[in-house]
Amino acid sequence: MAAAMEGMRTWRGLRSCWGARPLCSAAVPLCSRSYGVLPPPRDEKEKALLHRMLRVDHAGEYGANRIYAGQMAVLGRTQSGPLIQHMWDQEKKHLQKFDEILAENRVRPTALLPFWNITGFLLGASTALLGKEGAMACTVAVEESISEHYNSQIRALMETDPEKYKDLLQLITECRDEEMEHHDTGLEQDAQSVPGYWLLKNVIQAGCKAAIYISERI
Amino acid sequence: MAALLRGLRAGSILRGLCSGGPRYRTVQRRVHQAAVLYTQDYSKPDSTSSSSTSSSSSSSYHQHYQAHASEQEPKIPGSEAEGPQPNTSYANQDGEQSEDYETEEQLQTRILAAALEFVPQHGWSVEAIAAGAETLGLSSASSEMFTNGSGDLVLFFVAKSNAQLTEILAEQHNQVQLGQAEPKKTAQFLRDAVETRLRMLVPYINTWPQAMSILLLPHNIPDSLKHMSTLVDDIWYYAGDRSTDLNWYTRRAALTGIYNTTELVMVQDSSPDFQDTWTFLDNRIQDVVNMANTVKTVQSTGEAVVQGLMGAAVTLKNLTGLNQRR
Repeated sequence: MAAAMEGMRTWRGLRSCWGARPLCSAAVPLCSRSYGVLPPPRDEKEKALLHRMLRVDHAGEYGANRIYAGQMAVLGRTQSGPLIQHMWDQEKKHLQKFDEILAENRVRPTALLPFWNITGFLLGASTALLGKEGAMACTVAVEESISEHYNSQIRALMETDPEKYKDLLQLITECRDEEMEHHDTGLEQDAQSVPGYWLLKNVIQAGCKAAIYISERI
Repeated sequence: MAALLRGLRAGSILRGLCSGGPRYRTVQRRVHQAAVLYTQDYSKPDSTSSSSTSSSSSSSYHQHYQAHASEQEPKIPGSEAEGPQPNTSYANQDGEQSEDYETEEQLQTRILAAALEFVPQHGWSVEAIAAGAETLGLSSASSEMFTNGSGDLVLFFVAKSNAQLTEILAEQHNQVQLGQAEPKKTAQFLRDAVETRLRMLVPYINTWPQAMSILLLPHNIPDSLKHMSTLVDDIWYYAGDRSTDLNWYTRRAALTGIYNTTELVMVQDSSPDFQDTWTFLDNRIQDVVNMANTVKTVQSTGEAVVQGLMGAAVTLKNLTGLNQRR
């Protein structure tokens, strides 16, 4: 596991060197087909659990996509445009990954997708109207929530059976690492200097928690 | 009616509102899973067990397989080949002579399967179950085992037919993968799948209105909705739907509507070989296709209009000099 983490860190380092999309290689799951990612569930309960996990992850990536789209709509032509575009591209890749997994495993997507579409866009756009710092504060809050959520999923999978869920764990860990990267980037970009930072952060995080709770079920 | 069903479906998600104790629900689930197993077992095992993701029924197959590995043998060729005869399945087991234990679900499955042939005579009722039990050499009082009576029989039949359809679709899918058959267009595929499934009702068409009303009883609605959603999900999966957005819901809702209305037409149809029903089905599928095309056209028109407006706005900004970078 430690070796895998080390390998992933090296890989991440390589990716950030390149900036653009890396070439696909067999050892890099983010580029390869995801049909092997989910192990066949043993019984109905496990299947329900896995589907729930994937549903909420998919909804989360979808929402994150829309948030960045909202931010780009406002700040797209400013100096922070390229940075937000880069983070958005990474989220797009995550969403594509989860789309594939959902389709392969016949997981029902959450019914609230249109709602997250609008809400995410509005959240991104309205925080971006507060300026670059506002957008970064939103990014920090959302990415922190998502990382926490992914961490709890990783914990749950590790507690159950790390060997069996190896591929799924790897995918979630990679997504979580990139979300943490976005979080750190946001902090670097003076997120905390926006007026009302603590209020904004807590409100957004409460909203994210509610969104996660609902998307697991509906 | 549709709104009522939707509301009841939402209610069924809050499982605690279902009538009957927990044991009753477990027995119901087991009977239906066993019904699915029954159908799968007496067809080619490789097509369904190859991937557990091909249908939700397969996963219950896996679950059941692991739970009752030693009892699988008695179910397969023995019980299928001699349905109405008395209990010879114990003698037909391969290598499991010591395990002459049959689970309650398997027994219930056999009784219900035998009861189906008495449905035209007795309707979907406890009498049919009793008659079925008698052909297996059991007392007719064993129909008391089914606390839901006719509901059990109807739900068993629905589960069995859905599983049969899934196998047929999986087989066709394999044929296409192997290049031995041409892939069908979506509309044609849906039409054929719904027709195949509805044709399974033909032997029981005279008593089917009774079965439909049984399925609408409040304590049967959660199960019948679950079977319906599994059926529709399976058909769309094999039709090639891999959507992960709102289309997932709209497509399944549309197909549910098509299936239910065609079923209603079928029970009132008296034309030879139900020709009117298939014509109705064609028209409904055509409606949905037209609707989808209209939506696409409206969307692209809307996009073109928006682009035109944006172009006009940019031109205006240029003309008034507002577009210069400062």
